[in-house]
Amino acid sequence: MEWLVFIVVAVAAIGTALGLVIRPNPLHGALFLVGNLFCVAVLYLLLRAEFLALAQVIVYAGAIMVLFLFVLMLLNLKGENPLLTRGAAKGFGILFAIVVFVELLWTVLSPQMEGGMAASPTVPTGFGSPAAIGRVLYTVWLYPFEITSILLLIAVIGAVVLAKRKFG
Amino acid sequence: MTPAPTVPLVCYQVLAAILFTIGVVGVLVRRSALIIFMSIELMLNAVNLSFVAFSRQHASMDGHIFVFFVMAVAAAEVAVGLAILVAIFRNRDTANVDDVRLLRG
Repeated sequence: MEWLVFIVVAVAAIGTALGLVIRPNPLHGALFLVGNLFCVAVLYLLLRAEFLALAQVIVYAGAIMVLFLFVLMLLNLKGENPLLTRGAAKGFGILFAIVVFVELLWTVLSPQMEGGMAASPTVPTGFGSPAAIGRVLYTVWLYPFEITSILLLIAVIGAVVLAKRKFG
Repeated sequence: MTPAPTVPLVCYQVLAAILFTIGVVGVLVRRSALIIFMSIELMLNAVNLSFVAFSRQHASMDGHIFVFFVMAVAAAEVAVGLAILVAIFRNRDTANVDDVRLLRG
């Protein structure tokens, strides 16, 4: 059962990711990305990360993608022209991507990873619940958490200043 | 205690690698700044999936915390990045990264 869900969702995730990269219309790309984010949220649920699955749907698929769609509508882009980079750059791009993929697979499948792959596979009940996350976040990671709020404030101010009408 | 997962960790890692690579292709090959931004989100998501899978395997919450921070930083990055995109579009009337290759306006 878990295998079935994993395979279906994994195929859907790869398909939506390819859709984002292949479709010329940015609006289709945005919708494909929403689908991909939902697929990853389902995988989070399989991995017992309930809080993160919900945060993924609310923050990513909700807030961030709405921001993308706002800008898409605001700019009224008319597709890409041309769709892809020209000749050599495209070839090099795909070549570099293949190199990256081989390196990643090499790392994941290397024998040194065996130790990390074979750790305790059972978790206590309540693992990944909002209560468990909050307990760690507000004790061990309190200062990084507060700094994150300052970062978001700076980002909001920066976005307002940048998107404002030009001076004069 | 919850039962052990039947899907091994390595499957999640390979899936994360595939998604990350698709994001890399999107950044390197596409010319629309918006699509490039979305591909970056795709890559961040792939890494998040990897974090959560490792977190599950080691029964440790630290990976979840890191994913939380990645989401917060991604939100900040998207806000500033899209603002820059709007400013460029207003000045240059384009969102094609090939047309915006000079640092000076």
